[in-house]
Amino acid sequence: MSVAKHRSINWNVGVRAAVAVICTFLFIAPVLWMVTTAFKTGNQAFSGEIQWFFTPTLENFAEVLGGTRLTYALINSLQVSVISSVVAILLASGIAYPLARYEFRGRNQIAATILSLRIVPPIVTIIPLFLLMRTIGLNGSLLSIIILHVFMNLPLAVWLLRGFYEDVPKEIEEAGAIDGLGNIGIFFRMVLPLAMPGVASTALLCFVFSWNEFLFASVLSNAGSQTVTVALTQYVTPVGTEWTLIMAAGTLVAVPVWLAALAAQKYLVRGLSLGAVK
Amino acid sequence: MTTSITESRVPRKTTPPSGVPGRRQPKKLGRYLAMSPGLLFLAAISLYPTLYSLVVSFMRWNLSSGEAARFAGIDNYVDLLTDGLFWNSVRVTLVFVFFSVLIELALAFGLALLFFRGLPGDKFLRALIMMPMLCAPVVVGLLARFSLEPTYGIVNQLMRSIGLPTTEFLGNVDLALPTLIAIDVWQWTPFLFLILLAAMQGLPEEVIEASKIDGASWPRIIWHQFLPLLRYPILVGVLLRLIDSFRVYDIVYMTTRGGPVDATSTMSWQIYNVGFRAFNISYAAAFSWLLLLLVLLAVNSLIRRMVARS
Repeated sequence: MSVAKHRSINWNVGVRAAVAVICTFLFIAPVLWMVTTAFKTGNQAFSGEIQWFFTPTLENFAEVLGGTRLTYALINSLQVSVISSVVAILLASGIAYPLARYEFRGRNQIAATILSLRIVPPIVTIIPLFLLMRTIGLNGSLLSIIILHVFMNLPLAVWLLRGFYEDVPKEIEEAGAIDGLGNIGIFFRMVLPLAMPGVASTALLCFVFSWNEFLFASVLSNAGSQTVTVALTQYVTPVGTEWTLIMAAGTLVAVPVWLAALAAQKYLVRGLSLGAVK
Repeated sequence: MTTSITESRVPRKTTPPSGVPGRRQPKKLGRYLAMSPGLLFLAAISLYPTLYSLVVSFMRWNLSSGEAARFAGIDNYVDLLTDGLFWNSVRVTLVFVFFSVLIELALAFGLALLFFRGLPGDKFLRALIMMPMLCAPVVVGLLARFSLEPTYGIVNQLMRSIGLPTTEFLGNVDLALPTLIAIDVWQWTPFLFLILLAAMQGLPEEVIEASKIDGASWPRIIWHQFLPLLRYPILVGVLLRLIDSFRVYDIVYMTTRGGPVDATSTMSWQIYNVGFRAFNISYAAAFSWLLLLLVLLAVNSLIRRMVARS
């Protein structure tokens, strides 16, 4: 923080801090409201005025998790997100490491082409892919969702990992080669451990995007392979909406992402900006 | 094959890590072997749907009719260009994209200016501001429905407490689209804020020092010193927001379902309806191609600059 030279600057910090707190509140108030409602009984939630202080209850969470649908969906989502992130990191590393290390013809074209895949709206690809999955008998399976989530996350992962592998000093590899390690040994024993914080953050971001994804999952899943985002839509009914339960379900879906983001905080901006801002 | 060609042409430029000449050949092969699974996977899953939907877009094929697909030339495209619902969705999408990205950029820039010189507890506040953007759009949609609900919703409760009338934000033809834009702004301003804040904190020391001097020169410093240096992060942030807001679907699904009276029927939503509700696969394919063209048109120059820079 800057050392204030004048009283006016000091005063300025106070005003800026106050404005910043108000702005922050505007962004988190709905989230706070969701989380607090999740801990309320129906009476507390619908008393007609907003209660920020109340005796919390876990009833809503118990009821939401007691119904098998969301519980299964949480397990499905966990499988889809973890497996697709790991596969995306492996495939992307295969592309990103040579892109980061070697100069060869077509290197930039490959990187640009991969980035351009990020532009295509998912609705454009989903209809042919849905028909394809139906033809090969994969629709309704978790595998089909995993495949599409790997596809969705690969461009991001390639671009980020390229940057993280570039950050590993080249001398490391020379040392590895002198020690008689082959390329694979150099990568797995020396480069990967050194790039690990960045690689782990990339994996966490892939996890977040896969966990939050809705369109692919909704088109390809059936009752048994619903992910959390798809399962949440069952709560959208025109009548008889039980908001306390819905907010509990919403909170359960949001918490893993908040934790993942917290763990990846150091590289979050770099990741979200595809490596453009470090 | 490719390996040997590259081998003969590039050796001057390449510095193999080992420096052992005898090892170059397997290493070159190794890099293509390493890249091939990922590249083949990407090629298969991107080329297939692209070509497939291009072909289908020139056919007449409705899954619900039971008739076989047949060649139809440019019929689908002609029909689209005379389809009021198509043009409506183009308008809705463009309005949504333009206003949400513009407002997000303006707010994020202001917020970043507020934060970048350091504040007590700023790291904590920054972590809190990130929360909306991390929620799944589906969760945000649910939360928006609940917040905007007429009787118990927090927004209407607050409005009543200051004497404003109860408002059906999502059910009103004139308010539904602005409300969706507001939801998007609420969720994604933090994204641009984080990028701009990190970029501002990385500015050269003398620029930051200059900005600390309070007074009338403030706007000038921002305009002449900040903006030129922040051009690239702004470009990337806006590009990513454009790409994502053109595909808006989840929050429409969770809140308005395109209504009332198609007031929020974005292109993605409309394509979903045509393809998965009416099962008019060929019409949806042609529709998709026009969406893709529109997105490419909008982001083409930005993405070129981004690739050139990296």
